[in-house]
Amino acid sequence: MIAEYTWLVPFIPMMCFLIIGIIGRKTPEKGGYIAIAGALCSFLIAVAISYEYLTSDAFAAGQPITESIRWFSIGDYTMNLGYYVDGLTCAMMLFSSFISTLIFIYSLGYMHDQGERKNRYYAEVSLFLTGMLGLIVSSNFLELFIFWEVMGLCSYLLIGFWSFRHHDGDAASANAASAAKKAFLVTRMGDVCLMGGLFIFLNLFHTLDYADMFANAGAIAAANPELLTLGLLLMFGGVIGKSAQFPLHDWLPDAMAGPTTVSSLIHAATMVKAGVYLVARAFPIYVMDANVMLFVAIIGGITAFIAATMALNNMNIKKVLAYSTVSQLGYMILALGAGGYLWALGYHELGALGFFAGCFHMINHAFFKALLFMGSGSVIHGTGTEDMRLMGGLFSKMKITAITMLFGCLSIAGIPIFSGFWSKDLVIDVAMAAFNNGTGDAATWFIILWILAVITAFMTAFYMFRMWFMTFMGEPRENAQHCHGESPKTMTMPLVILAVFALISGLFMFFGLGDMLAFQGVAIDGVEHGIELFSNPYTYLTLALAAIGIGIAYLMYVKKSINPGKFNKDGQSWLYNALTKRWWFPDLYNQISWKLGYGVAKGVNYVDRQIVDGTVNGLSSAVVGGGDVLSKVQTGHVQDYSSIVLLGVSVLSVLFLIVAFALGGL
Amino acid sequence: MIPMEYFLILAAILFVIGAYGVLTKSNAIVVLMCIELMLNAANINFITFAAFNYDIVGQAFVIMSISVAAAEVAVGIAILLNAYKIRKTTELDEAELTSMRW
Repeated sequence: MIAEYTWLVPFIPMMCFLIIGIIGRKTPEKGGYIAIAGALCSFLIAVAISYEYLTSDAFAAGQPITESIRWFSIGDYTMNLGYYVDGLTCAMMLFSSFISTLIFIYSLGYMHDQGERKNRYYAEVSLFLTGMLGLIVSSNFLELFIFWEVMGLCSYLLIGFWSFRHHDGDAASANAASAAKKAFLVTRMGDVCLMGGLFIFLNLFHTLDYADMFANAGAIAAANPELLTLGLLLMFGGVIGKSAQFPLHDWLPDAMAGPTTVSSLIHAATMVKAGVYLVARAFPIYVMDANVMLFVAIIGGITAFIAATMALNNMNIKKVLAYSTVSQLGYMILALGAGGYLWALGYHELGALGFFAGCFHMINHAFFKALLFMGSGSVIHGTGTEDMRLMGGLFSKMKITAITMLFGCLSIAGIPIFSGFWSKDLVIDVAMAAFNNGTGDAATWFIILWILAVITAFMTAFYMFRMWFMTFMGEPRENAQHCHGESPKTMTMPLVILAVFALISGLFMFFGLGDMLAFQGVAIDGVEHGIELFSNPYTYLTLALAAIGIGIAYLMYVKKSINPGKFNKDGQSWLYNALTKRWWFPDLYNQISWKLGYGVAKGVNYVDRQIVDGTVNGLSSAVVGGGDVLSKVQTGHVQDYSSIVLLGVSVLSVLFLIVAFALGGL
Repeated sequence: MIPMEYFLILAAILFVIGAYGVLTKSNAIVVLMCIELMLNAANINFITFAAFNYDIVGQAFVIMSISVAAAEVAVGIAILLNAYKIRKTTELDEAELTSMRW
């Protein structure tokens, strides 16, 4: 029973974090090898656990393997610590630890020149991995929330990795510091919502254990639907923050200020996947409310579309990838929302398909996005810039990077055989199914979301290939001319491995991934759905749009037969400005934080300084002043004191006599 | 049989003499002695009532009060000696001792 050792999966990276933090400085590569070994161990254990679970009776019966010990209890509420292994856990564990291992190996090359600070880097990424793996194997929401926060902290530390000393100067390090702060604060808004949601769940379910909650979800939904809806919406607030969904998506592009490996880790293996995972994990509760699922789908669709538009004209290679991540996360959320909506209406087969599509896209995205980020890291390593206008013609100099990145681009653009095709078209398929089966306004919403998703697919193909052509084709520009050739083997080896996965991970659905990601026992027949994609006319529509997108990018940036300046009046048009200003979202955040946040802070400051402090200070000075006045009574002459005592005694005696007379004594 | 009033008047006179001494004398040793006078006036009252009421409790209290007085004087003298060592005076109204108040 290796599943009993599931706790080791997050525990090993945590030990690595401690070991690297304490003695990493003395080891070769400042702890890099320890981090790799830790991630690899976690991966191997995850493989063993997954093998055992997937061959067990519990899996055949559609049950999880879960176990927990009591942690503490408050009144009637008991909090547990434990693990919860089901198909989703296995899939998440496997790809997180596998991709993290590759990213850590890649870091050996990419972070090679960072000197002493590598120690900090490896310690923090290990802790980051602890957060993600812990979140995945948790058996209740409290445990999940703790690891969720660990990841928030790590993202803050890693995005701000260059805040002390940046190789591009002080402005860049100030930028890194503010990006880290922004990421932390924006995700914090979501975390507060999530915490509120958990309080409501605790109140409703009297427990936060998955197993108990999922078993009682139906009864609670029948008994108290309004409160459950509120709890689910608040929980989704946490997802909006963590997974960078509209309208809290703007921290993710800024987070590019961190090292590229960190971006890769955040986007592919950890952090933003946590939000999607939370929806997938809480899916049995989410499906109780069709309206919440509709809301989830709308947020996902809008995010996918808006983020894709902003990637269209960005000149920074990493930011294009960042927007594409936000956009793809939108797809996943859309699939989960549409699937949950269908399940809530009673279409269990289609609902499970939505669940599968969301999780499947998350896995595929992890592979090709890690690949793309590491590829861009390799380019940045070679050219020393992130600006695509200074690159170009790198294909001949960096063949491995160029070809592996091409695989990633083909995958994300949704070209058949490549992984992105299968999952993205399933997502779009589910949105269409939700339109066909939805009722009333919801159906209208889903057709809008379907159109947005299809347009997004077109834009994705365009901007990814725009990036690839600008970087690797055409004549070499400024920095590309100084490029010193291909990156070291530690960097290209993970790229090649991931390129293979970007090619084949979509085919997993033909080999049992559908059973693994079954929702409440409703498994997806991967072969059937995979073949069905080719008989669906809409698939050819998205394919045609993707091909047109790639074609336009080719004509614009390689053949130069279409001048991009013609569409945007050479960067003067209103739309172009809106996109470069990211639809004014940073300005909106600034306005909100200055007007609302700072205003509230000033008010609170006033109350604190003037009223709270004023009361305390006034009280203390009144006591001190009164003491000063009264201390004058103390003359220091013993006789004065004794006279007062004698006088007092005399007065008391006289009073006593008077009272005695009055009462008729004596 | 000597009337009870005589004893009580004696005690009252002793007490007033003691109180007068405590209030007027400036030498700390004299003040301590005057306090003893007041205590003993109270003791005489105890004994008087004990004798006239045939109640042994009054005598027992006197023994108690004498032992407390002894202890009190011991503490008083100790404080006084230390004050004298540091301040070089036993005059209660001198600035050396009145400045000990705060």
